[in-house]
Amino acid sequence: MAELHIIGQIIGASGFPQKSLFCKWEVHTGGAWRLLSGLKEGQTQVDSPHSGEMAYWSHPIDLHYATKGLQGWPKLHLQVWHQDSFGRYQLYGYGYCHVPSSPGHHRISCVTWRPLGSWQEQLARIFVGGGPQLRNPDLIYSGADRYRLHTEAMGTVNLELGVIIRHFDKHGVES
Amino acid sequence: MATNNPSVFLLTVNGQIEGANFPEHDNLYCKYCYVYGHDWAPTTGLEEGITQITCKNSQTQRLVWNFPLETTFKSTNPFGWPQLVVSVYGPDVFGNDVVRGYGATHIPFTPGQHKRSIPMFVPEPTWRLQKFTGWLLGRRPEYTDPKVVAQGEGREVTRVCSQGSVTVSFHIMSKDMKKMGYDVGPSHVHSATPD
Repeated sequence: MAELHIIGQIIGASGFPQKSLFCKWEVHTGGAWRLLSGLKEGQTQVDSPHSGEMAYWSHPIDLHYATKGLQGWPKLHLQVWHQDSFGRYQLYGYGYCHVPSSPGHHRISCVTWRPLGSWQEQLARIFVGGGPQLRNPDLIYSGADRYRLHTEAMGTVNLELGVIIRHFDKHGVES
Repeated sequence: MATNNPSVFLLTVNGQIEGANFPEHDNLYCKYCYVYGHDWAPTTGLEEGITQITCKNSQTQRLVWNFPLETTFKSTNPFGWPQLVVSVYGPDVFGNDVVRGYGATHIPFTPGQHKRSIPMFVPEPTWRLQKFTGWLLGRRPEYTDPKVVAQGEGREVTRVCSQGSVTVSFHIMSKDMKKMGYDVGPSHVHSATPD
């Protein structure tokens, strides 16, 4: 059995219209993977930067997987939300990125997008906030039904992910 | 002594807490500690410490501690890889010692030199009145245990305000990780992570 360690942080996000952001994250894998230790989902703190544009979460990720195959390599799903001063939440972006497959430290910028909606919904979003959300979040990482969506680009989430692999070479895998 | 099939690997961390960048605060000191999982244990070196109090250089506006870090850990499993947790404190207008920032970073695992810029954040009170009384009385919100910063659970209800950063440099060596079958990637020459 080969093993994979993912050790790193969700550093923060930038390029979003407002400050006071947090992120819900989840790691998804295929059927051949088994999570041995660590939390595969979570929610970061809400950060409003004092100066500057980047919101910093510094949320640690430490996962230990065992696997029998390469299919379903771990993917990280992210949802960036905005919390306003009244405590209401608003979706700011969906995004996903693959966990790197080569061992070592990696700096990753994950781009995000959000559903656009009709012009009435866009107008309401400017004044009241809110806006359409995906009913089924599986669309974030699958390409199957994406052609129906009309989305707009949002900011980027910065991550630092470190990958340690074990016994991959014994199974003949090069990475 | 199983040298052919070791069950334990060692991680040696040499480095320093170089200094910090806090545009609005001065006369700061830093406390550090390591947070690690159940499979890890420090073998030599200090697990926690406090730096001196430093003030800004009038020309460069830098805060410098140059505080040494020399620790060796042993473990059977990379899960729970050690993190360095730093908390920065300084005086406020009335002379009380208040927290200026918390931050954490994983110790790098590829052998070689690394430089990390750790962003700092403070917990923020939700009520404006609480913010004012906190400023007046010098009793700002603080974490009861700074090690919370190194964990992912329970953070979803905290509101924070990020400001400033602490610069740390590491020189990493490991022993027997390859023999145990772990591949950590190529050795590192230098990594400067921007603010």
